[in-house]
Amino acid sequence: MNGAARALVSTGDGLDPCARRIHIVQGEYEVSRDPNVVLTTLLGSCVAACIHDPVAGIGGMNHFLLPDADGGSDSEHMRYGVNSMELLINGILKLGGRRDRLHVWLFGGARLFDRLTDIGSKNADFAEAFIRREELIPMGGSLRGSKARRIQFWPVAGRARQLLLSKADPAVLNPPVPTQVLPSAEAGSDVELF
Amino acid sequence: MPAAKNISVMIADDQASMRSLIRNSLEQIGFVDIREARDGEECLRGVITRPANLVISDFNMPNLDGIGLLRSIRVHPPTSKIAFIMLTGRTDIELLKRAKEYGVNNYVVKPFTVAGLKERIEAVFGKLS
Repeated sequence: MNGAARALVSTGDGLDPCARRIHIVQGEYEVSRDPNVVLTTLLGSCVAACIHDPVAGIGGMNHFLLPDADGGSDSEHMRYGVNSMELLINGILKLGGRRDRLHVWLFGGARLFDRLTDIGSKNADFAEAFIRREELIPMGGSLRGSKARRIQFWPVAGRARQLLLSKADPAVLNPPVPTQVLPSAEAGSDVELF
Repeated sequence: MPAAKNISVMIADDQASMRSLIRNSLEQIGFVDIREARDGEECLRGVITRPANLVISDFNMPNLDGIGLLRSIRVHPPTSKIAFIMLTGRTDIELLKRAKEYGVNNYVVKPFTVAGLKERIEAVFGKLS
């Protein structure tokens, strides 16, 4: 059992120089059972779920942003979040995790700019509803607010750390560019089997 | 031209959110008789008790996964003719090839649109009214 599973909120840098860092950008997810791995991400209005199985010692993180819900039905936009969560959970289950043991921390969903639609809150609402619906174990985290966040997550230990960033931080002004995005909802025709 | 309202569907997925999305999509297309199962075993019991015209199943499920469910449905005479559509991620191509060997009728890549799902169903049943 992992009694040490906890979320830390830090105002300092606190980066561990010995850890093998894997940075997750929007649309990506990563799962690991390597105790030296620390998963990191930078969040504005996006949300990251950090999920951990304390018995199997496996965990992972995703990073997703729902498309702006103004252009279609809610369920149409939920697909991207559901898919991102499913990929992460299935990745943990494939490594030996069990659904009924999954602890979840949620981060992100900030409203960085007052004049824009509060998509961050919608992302946060979705993530919280997903955890409830799937009966996963909520462990806390930090959602909404007005500041960007740098997140570190140790997937084997089940330990998360958050650093709040100012709007002038270079990491906020120039976030890492995604190398891949979630597959298009129209991507189903790229393999001819039928 | 078959009517969606006359086609009974069983959804098999271990994730409640995904089942809800599929159900919502099917209702938008016009399906009415929709049942849900949380894994392959529950789905198999369900279609043996009351056959469905179409099973839409995830690959990754506990107890009995999508491939196991497909094989079980195909070898059981009362259920062997049920149309079977597999839900998959983009990385499941090898599994899809296995599914085709076992008689899957079509597949849908997640995340999918209502139009995309309808297209795949119509490829199996013909144009829906």
